Amino acid sequence: MTTFTVGWLYPDLMNIYGDRGNILTLVERARWRGFSANVMELGKGVHHGLEDVDVFFFGGGQDREQALVYDDLLELKAEPLTRALAGGAALLAVCGGYQLLGHYYQTAQGERFPGLGLLDLHTEAGARRCIGNVVVDVSGLGLEPSTLIGFENHSGRTFLGPQLTPLGRVMAGSGNNGEDGTEGVAAGNIFGTYLHGSLLPKNPHLADHITTAALQRRGVRSLPVLDDALELEAHRRVRDRELAGRR
Amino acid sequence: MPVRTALAVVAGKATGSLSRLTGRGGGTTFPGDVARYVDPHVLRRLARDLKGGAVIVTGTNGKPTTSRLVHAVLEGIPARVVANRAGANLIYGATAAAVAVAGVDGRLRADWGVFEIDEATLPAAVDEIQPRAVLVLNLFRDQLDRYGELELMARTIQRALEQLPEQSVAVLNADDPRIGELGSHLRRKPLWFGLDDRGAGAQSLPHAADARTCPRCGATLVFDAVYVGHDGEYRCPNGDFARPALDIAGRHLRLEGLDWLGLNLDGQIVEARLGGTYNAYNVTAAYAVGRALGLEPAYIAERLKTVAAAFGRQERFEATGRRFTILLAKNPTGFNSVLRDSIELARGKRYLIALNDRIADGTDVSWIWDVDFELLKPSVQIVVPSGDRAHDLAVRLKYAGVKAEAPQADLGRALDRLLELTPEGEHAFLLCTYTAMLDLRALLVRRGWLRPYWST
Repeated sequence: MTTFTVGWLYPDLMNIYGDRGNILTLVERARWRGFSANVMELGKGVHHGLEDVDVFFFGGGQDREQALVYDDLLELKAEPLTRALAGGAALLAVCGGYQLLGHYYQTAQGERFPGLGLLDLHTEAGARRCIGNVVVDVSGLGLEPSTLIGFENHSGRTFLGPQLTPLGRVMAGSGNNGEDGTEGVAAGNIFGTYLHGSLLPKNPHLADHITTAALQRRGVRSLPVLDDALELEAHRRVRDRELAGRR
Repeated sequence: MPVRTALAVVAGKATGSLSRLTGRGGGTTFPGDVARYVDPHVLRRLARDLKGGAVIVTGTNGKPTTSRLVHAVLEGIPARVVANRAGANLIYGATAAAVAVAGVDGRLRADWGVFEIDEATLPAAVDEIQPRAVLVLNLFRDQLDRYGELELMARTIQRALEQLPEQSVAVLNADDPRIGELGSHLRRKPLWFGLDDRGAGAQSLPHAADARTCPRCGATLVFDAVYVGHDGEYRCPNGDFARPALDIAGRHLRLEGLDWLGLNLDGQIVEARLGGTYNAYNVTAAYAVGRALGLEPAYIAERLKTVAAAFGRQERFEATGRRFTILLAKNPTGFNSVLRDSIELARGKRYLIALNDRIADGTDVSWIWDVDFELLKPSVQIVVPSGDRAHDLAVRLKYAGVKAEAPQADLGRALDRLLELTPEGEHAFLLCTYTAMLDLRALLVRRGWLRPYWST
């Protein structure tokens, strides 16, 4: 294959929670496997080149920054992004980026801001902020280990439409809405979640799952195995501590 | 003076003595809790006894060191100065400090107060203390899990400054875009300070930078110089917003190791026994406070020379024939500053880095991915990751391409490993988050290498 490309949506405005860790993980792991890899920054005003991206990353921002990317997203990015995803590219969206994948975000005053409408989900403002470490059971994805760990910090409550499958079930923490036990969404090559921390460094199995999904169209069926002992030990320690706190 | 305040003072003092006697540490906040329980207005009443007045120091980074600098300036007047210390920067810590120097008659035995106050506590502190000056140092991303977003913090600070008494001054860092914004909305003009030395600044923002857009048109701000984090000389490319004109400008910055700095503050040469660009801000800020209070430039400069770093901030000690420097870093901006300075100014090669995720540290460790640990790669020989989240740190170092030792969550074992790898006569750096610093210091005290903090 040629070059593995990570497309980072709004790297300067939507990166409040150490999202750089997700980018570093995707890129470094590809390099360790002998691929050449690069990052394409998709800031405001950019709408060319999205067809070359293998994995898109869309992070969270503060309210003020999120408002600034809003018009650009709907006017310039929506169309080429949708086309790239239909062509087999993958997308990981975290927190604010995840919310923007859905139909709308509804404020406490009842005002609705439309999202990309890529997936049948919506988000409503909640009264309480969900903050803390999260453990998610993702055995449905067939991953080993069967858990994801991360940190959530959101007041939005996201609800999935009936046809959508969540990324996993919450074992500790609040997840999508604190009510139905779901966390995130996994819809083909599109993954949405409230987990940062950063998410991918301590969940290398998910990083590889997303990368594999994106490289199908390039004829890559499986990835060379890496030594993840350190990453998985960090994963296990947080998981065990958080689950012990539940009992 | 109401009897209740006197009772509150007595109760608070008794708690403090008991706490020290039973070896539970310095009793830096609990006496405040007790005194406020007896008399909720105890701090308000005691603060009225300050004949000179009070200075409140707030902001994300640099509060303890800058408070020490302001303290030294006021003490030389001469004056009796009451100050909260050791990061006890909530209203209880301020109360405890006042109670400790009050007489059993409920009167404060001090002329001036210097209180470092957590940003979220600022409105309450301004209301109770009625300060002569409020110094706002900077606003960086810090512990978002506790406080919500930076915007909210900026609004909290602005609200507190609007409530300042008529004759009081807001002393603000013009180089911080969010402070520049909130200060320009104030009814009374603040005193603006900042650095003005393009040669000493970088030209681009580090990964950890946060405030970068124009508050009026949303355009990305252009920086002609970046000194620390997102603090520097900025302007909106459309001309809608720019750094406010400096009333106190720091020029001709000179840095020598982590031990000394000098700069020219509007014609006055100022020197301090502190290192690093972030301390140039702290020194400039303390100088600006002195000027706001009407003190003479030469006098202020003389006093600033006398100060050493606050405990655990850049603390140095020698033990087992090796030299050590403790560096505290609580957030990406602080971390990048101490990493860069220890490598570039002090040629650091050996590190123990301890990351905790307790409440006082912030329970979300995502921020380590915004720290430029890549800086360690070219020159550093030893890194021992430690603390409650040692393994997260080790993963971060791996993805930064830094060869580190195996993570060692236990601080004692990590320190032993560092000693094994550090030859006698060499210098090692102990870089810690807040609670890791407290734990490490306690460990060093137990080993007889350091004195307890309440006696420093």
